[in-house]
Amino acid sequence: MLFTTTQEHEEFRAKVRGFAETKIKPIAFMLDKENKFPDEQVKEMGELGWMGIPFPKEYGGAGLDYISYAIAVEELARVDGGAGVILSAHVSLGSYPIFAFGTEEQKRKYLVPLASGKKIGAFGLTEPNAGSDAGETETTAEFDGTHWILNGNKIFITNAGKADTYVVFAVTEPGKGTRGISAFIVEKGMPGFTFGDHYDKLGIRSSATAELIFNNVKLPKENLLGKRGQGFKIAMATLDGGRIGIAAQALGIAQGAYEAALNYSKERIQFNAPICQNQGVSFKLADMATKLRAARFLVYSAAELKQEHQDYGMESAMAKMYASDAAVSITNDALQIFGGTGYLKGMDVERFYRDAKITTIYEGTNEIQRVVIASHITDKMSVAKHGGAPKQNAAITGARKKQIFKDGTPEEQVAALVEALKNDGYDFTVGIPLDTPISDAERVVSAGKGIGEKANMKLIEDLARQAGAAVGSSRPVAETLQYVPIDRYVGMSGQKFNGNLYIACGISGAVQHLKGIKNATTIVAININAGAPIFKNCDYGIVGDVKVILPLLAKALNNGQPKKPAPPMVKMKRPLILKDMPEGRYVCKGCGYEYNPDLGDPDADVKPGTKFQDLPEDWVCPLCNSAKTEFVPVK
Amino acid sequence: MECVRKLTNDLYWVGADDRRLALFENIHPIPRGVSYNSYLLLDEKTVLFDTADWSVCKQFLENVEGVLKGRKLDYLIINHVEPDHAASIEEVLLRHPETTVISNEQAFTLMDQFGYRVEGEKQIVVKEGDTQKFGKHTIAFVAAPMVHWPEAMVSFDLTTGTLFSADAFGSFGALGGRIFNDEVDFDRDWLDDARRYYTNIVGKYGPFVMDLLGKASQLDIKMICPLHGPVWRNNIKYIVDKYIHWATYEPEEKGVLLVYASMYGNTESTASVLAAKLAEKGMTNIHMYDVSKTDISYLISDAFKYSHLVLASVTYNLGIYPKMLNFLEDMKALNLQKRIVGIIENGSWACTVGGLMTEFLENNMKAMTVLQDGVTINSRMTGGQERSMNDLVDAILNSMKEA
Repeated sequence: MLFTTTQEHEEFRAKVRGFAETKIKPIAFMLDKENKFPDEQVKEMGELGWMGIPFPKEYGGAGLDYISYAIAVEELARVDGGAGVILSAHVSLGSYPIFAFGTEEQKRKYLVPLASGKKIGAFGLTEPNAGSDAGETETTAEFDGTHWILNGNKIFITNAGKADTYVVFAVTEPGKGTRGISAFIVEKGMPGFTFGDHYDKLGIRSSATAELIFNNVKLPKENLLGKRGQGFKIAMATLDGGRIGIAAQALGIAQGAYEAALNYSKERIQFNAPICQNQGVSFKLADMATKLRAARFLVYSAAELKQEHQDYGMESAMAKMYASDAAVSITNDALQIFGGTGYLKGMDVERFYRDAKITTIYEGTNEIQRVVIASHITDKMSVAKHGGAPKQNAAITGARKKQIFKDGTPEEQVAALVEALKNDGYDFTVGIPLDTPISDAERVVSAGKGIGEKANMKLIEDLARQAGAAVGSSRPVAETLQYVPIDRYVGMSGQKFNGNLYIACGISGAVQHLKGIKNATTIVAININAGAPIFKNCDYGIVGDVKVILPLLAKALNNGQPKKPAPPMVKMKRPLILKDMPEGRYVCKGCGYEYNPDLGDPDADVKPGTKFQDLPEDWVCPLCNSAKTEFVPVK
Repeated sequence: MECVRKLTNDLYWVGADDRRLALFENIHPIPRGVSYNSYLLLDEKTVLFDTADWSVCKQFLENVEGVLKGRKLDYLIINHVEPDHAASIEEVLLRHPETTVISNEQAFTLMDQFGYRVEGEKQIVVKEGDTQKFGKHTIAFVAAPMVHWPEAMVSFDLTTGTLFSADAFGSFGALGGRIFNDEVDFDRDWLDDARRYYTNIVGKYGPFVMDLLGKASQLDIKMICPLHGPVWRNNIKYIVDKYIHWATYEPEEKGVLLVYASMYGNTESTASVLAAKLAEKGMTNIHMYDVSKTDISYLISDAFKYSHLVLASVTYNLGIYPKMLNFLEDMKALNLQKRIVGIIENGSWACTVGGLMTEFLENNMKAMTVLQDGVTINSRMTGGQERSMNDLVDAILNSMKEA
């Protein structure tokens, strides 16, 4: 076993290095200074066949191996970290998921132009509230029968604006956590798909990074990538491979910095000798060279495992973590060796120093890489201990109907809502003054931050008038925006609503707010975000823009007459909703003990929410020590 | 003198009735007594299926000898080691040292623990799916774990379709000469005790019973020989259907079990008002019991039978009246699920019991839906509570329509 690359690998490296040295290195300083994307050079790389290195030739790729791909990223990063990540994000993130999970049609339509370098790819997973924790994804995709309607935004997206094809992750089954996420292929130019301003970054400034904004983007149904609910799996599989690209980028940056420092240390004379003769400097160089060698082995080995279709998730995490930590330390040492000279703009080491830092952060922070590695080397018990899904909190407002009107136009949705309310016995010919104290009001129409500008409060008032209700609000609307007096806000800490009908408009459903309305007989939610907690706590809901829905609802409730004064309030009955049976229970054949995933097995440190299947193989019945295999499911 | 019944030309019931035992398992009252069934097969080899409780051992041994008529006892199959069936093993073996005992590994361990010793060379250890031929008859062994003990198994005669079902399909009640289900009016005289037996003894283990019923559905069963109560030789679907209801915790009937805890009669009279109002509106399938005076096994049995439960209780030491709490604990222990529950609470200065009972039902039991309409009385019911009482009545009736 000789740990070395092949002659073909090294010949390929020489080609990429030649290109990088002649085409990118001369402009690297300018690209960095001006935050400029190397359009021409990327195009040329495509023509050279380097934008699809690991993909088969039939899909426009070069048909080379993953080590060759790692070498290409490494060599580009060796002169410019930004150029490295352009290639890595394009291949590993933008193209690979289509290659691995796409249908034949999707591969023909999207992968071929990507792999042949005619188009650029990107990947959209990260969100403001879903960084390391993808389960908190808030971007939604709703199927309307023919199209997926995509709403939300993605931040920190490499190649944003420059890429033509985006693999984007969105929630298709709210409330199911990571199992409710699906992947989609989105094309630049689709109506409603726009970009935020480019970020002004510390390093890798030649790469383009921006926010993706989706506002009712209509995707054909064939743009679903993989199966519905498979998104998280696709994302994780993609990132497993993506880590090899980032590791290679870190390796290249470190290599560039090391070479620069080594050369400088041989030329710089102090105390009548090159400073490389100084033991303090030479030890630094020795450490740098050692770290580089270790990092390179880790990166190439992970690439080789992937090439051979062996498990490589842990090894790619090790490579990414180690190579990026090493890059930060090596570029730091390199700059130190350069002394004051290295601190100046225009010096490569100054740029390498800034470029290196991102590699410990993106495509999984190094802390998350350690989580990944640890999960591979500790037994499943630790997954059960720490990875068990937290028990879904029961709706704060108690058992509710949660009937969301989705069918038809907004007018039809509103009509269905009004019919349901009338069937429940609500009489909309009567009403109460808008300023009735919340705690005395039979009905309240309440505004949340989703209402937008203050002028829109008129929509709330109009609806309240037609619904025969008083006006209320969420806490921020009264306290921060000051649209209504402070005594109008509803919540645990404010006024409690004890009446019959509560219409929450643009209210997402903070816990303290929900606690304040749990005695309501009927809760209606109107919100643009289908994932908002209010929808898990309502009887009826419409997902839509309050500016559209509220006027329609006010109109539908308008009987053309002024409302008659309402009779004294009669508290209406809440519907009977049968309690759910806990799912996923197993019973022990040895003693009858029942394992309930809602409870877990605290004595064995198994967290509530741990499925029976996820219990470690050596878990035994806590009462009679029977093996896990001695359990039968409760049907 | 032996007292036996011939079931088929070569199979005999050799069990015995016990009418002197007051409490089965020293907990459940059995005013109608109980039978300990044992069966003897006379094939080329002689085979005894289980033994009997110590209390009837003398009669049981006379029965065995009376049927053997001097033949050797070749085999003793032990399906269940609980002492009401296994206590006489040692006595049989002392009289018949030639007998080989057939059972499963865990059963032999338990026999050893209980002191029913079987010499190693006299043991045949079988497991699920094994068969043993005794002449014309071939017996297959089927594991029935946790129905209601872990070692339990059933034996199936592949030749005749006879299932020796251990405690499954058993019932309280002495047989009094009748042995077959069609020799008694089962629905009138036996069903309540069969239910009380099942729910209190096997009730917790519904999933395992369903598992066993699943295996049994693969067999062509002609006769069921349980260890207590009548032998089923026809209408087997009837008792299987009851078992499916009980094992899946589905009520047999729409009706109300109304259990009250009353110290001075005020909660009782409030419960009576509810019962009268329900009956007035046509729901007459009401069964009202004083929790202090009714043995809990009867309450459990009816809780399994009816769709609705109303608990009316006084507050006691700021908590649930102890006998009512005991009932709740027992329902939880026996895994009762999927009932709709109405609550009437009484408290004279700090009424806590309704909330505590609701919490118990919702948090400690499964899929128990507590009606939001409850009745709270302070010491006694007055006209002021009539509206909430009417609401509770309507809620019960409405939920019956929906369910």
